[in-house]
Amino acid sequence: MAAVTYTTNELMAVTAARALRDGQNVVVGLGLPQVAALLAKRTHAPNLNIIYEIGVANAEAVDPGVGIADPRLWHRSEYFTSSIGALGSILQKGLVDVGFLGALQIDCFGNLNSTQVKLADGSIRHFTGSGGAADIATFARNIFVIMKHEKRKITASLDYLTSVGLLAGGDSRSKAGLPMCLEVKIITNLCVFGIKRGQNVLEVQSLHPGVAQEDVLANTGFAVTFAADLQTTGIPTEVETTLLRTRIDPRGLFIK
Amino acid sequence: MLMGGKVRQLQDVVREIPGRGAEIALGGFAITRCPVAFVNELIRQGKKELILYETIGGFTADLLVGAGAVKRYSYGGGSLDKFGQLRRVNEGIENGTLDVREYTALSINLRFLAGSLGIPYVPSKTLLGTDILANLLGKDSEAVMVKESPFDGEQYVYYRSLQPEYAVIHAPCADAKGNVVIYGPTWDEELAKAAKKLIVTVDKVVSTEFIRQHPEMVVIPSLYTYAVCEVPYGAYPTSVYKAYDYDADVLSAYGRLNHEQSEFNKWLQEYVLGTKDHNEFLLKLAGMEKLAALRADPVFGYAKGAQ
Repeated sequence: MAAVTYTTNELMAVTAARALRDGQNVVVGLGLPQVAALLAKRTHAPNLNIIYEIGVANAEAVDPGVGIADPRLWHRSEYFTSSIGALGSILQKGLVDVGFLGALQIDCFGNLNSTQVKLADGSIRHFTGSGGAADIATFARNIFVIMKHEKRKITASLDYLTSVGLLAGGDSRSKAGLPMCLEVKIITNLCVFGIKRGQNVLEVQSLHPGVAQEDVLANTGFAVTFAADLQTTGIPTEVETTLLRTRIDPRGLFIK
Repeated sequence: MLMGGKVRQLQDVVREIPGRGAEIALGGFAITRCPVAFVNELIRQGKKELILYETIGGFTADLLVGAGAVKRYSYGGGSLDKFGQLRRVNEGIENGTLDVREYTALSINLRFLAGSLGIPYVPSKTLLGTDILANLLGKDSEAVMVKESPFDGEQYVYYRSLQPEYAVIHAPCADAKGNVVIYGPTWDEELAKAAKKLIVTVDKVVSTEFIRQHPEMVVIPSLYTYAVCEVPYGAYPTSVYKAYDYDADVLSAYGRLNHEQSEFNKWLQEYVLGTKDHNEFLLKLAGMEKLAALRADPVFGYAKGAQ
């Protein structure tokens, strides 16, 4: 049998999809998180509830959109609601199992910056800000991030803390009064970070096939630790790549 | 046009808004249901020093800030989705020329919720541990504080009630009494119900008999509504679900030209200050052919094949 060929983005989407469980409620945005959630729903998690923070649940889009404010992403929804309906009665109540977040920067505790970065000349460059991100990081039981592995993004210190992951490690998150966070999973193009239990700091739990520890060290801004039982990330199956290419992202907008 | 009741001309309603320092909550979200016709008229009438509130910033907030009409902007973050960033807003933050109070989508809506419920505050865990909270405790200390809850002894952020003088939202239709129908998600419901005066621009004023046939579609009942202005394509170039699509050409051009104040000024002069009303704005920026092409497919709710 010929080996399955796959792109790095397909590997990241598949890795995230496999980490979702049937029956979970997930909040996603446009891009690889949405692709991952849809793949999980079409494979092992048919009862996944997929929520957009704008107030949309379980849409079945047939056309690609430009973001969650694009009505293309609302097609065939099961439920529309308000800001408080989505982020209060669903998220704050504690009904969200997994929140997917994007970030400009992330630190070794999985804290995220989506607000602004400091430039070399000391000035700042402002971007999107939180939206619902900080709310999701507060209340979702698990935080998943899919991002490019670059030293300036996976960094020793954030220019701005928008969303709390494990705050300063240890029991600092609960001491700050925040609800429990069970997992912070960072899926990059090189590896998967998860929580090192006890210390509550990120560690590399699996390396993608063909990636060496040195590659991760060279591209990470903080001191990296590797899990004692470091794994190799499982590769996509033909069923998964076929679904991604023919059903979920046939135009290759995200999986290329 | 169905008149009577609360239906009024857009220009007349905008004329009522104080020339300086009016407090307005805007109802758009990035590139959908932004009250463009209303905001353009605010700019034409030269309103200044606005105190703005918004769930998620978008096209209309960027226009107002770029036009120099805003003194203070409280919002939960924002963008033009894939078309770009709110560069007029962001540059104001970067240069320190705009007083911005950054919240999140939930935290600012908890303030609207308290306003809509007529209670003084709502406690929440959200923003504990963040730089967003640290900034708000400095800049917006009259609205945000951290306190122990008397019930469980835990730390919460207490978000103060907010009842803005005005809220302005755009909806596909309402009747003359001000019963407002919205299709799709209703992220602006809390701010609409929190405001002292709710102004609704609609693509079409419908009969109260239509409302009586579809009361389940009314998101905001008439008792909240101060004025209804019929402005066809009033959210263009942003979308209204089940009515018309966003204009990708205009938004992607805007997402580039808003990087430079001088380019923005030219655009504003050409399309907003240089037009007398929304009809002229539509004809100049879109044209009849484009507007027809953007009409929503009745099954999909957007223009199938438009983008």
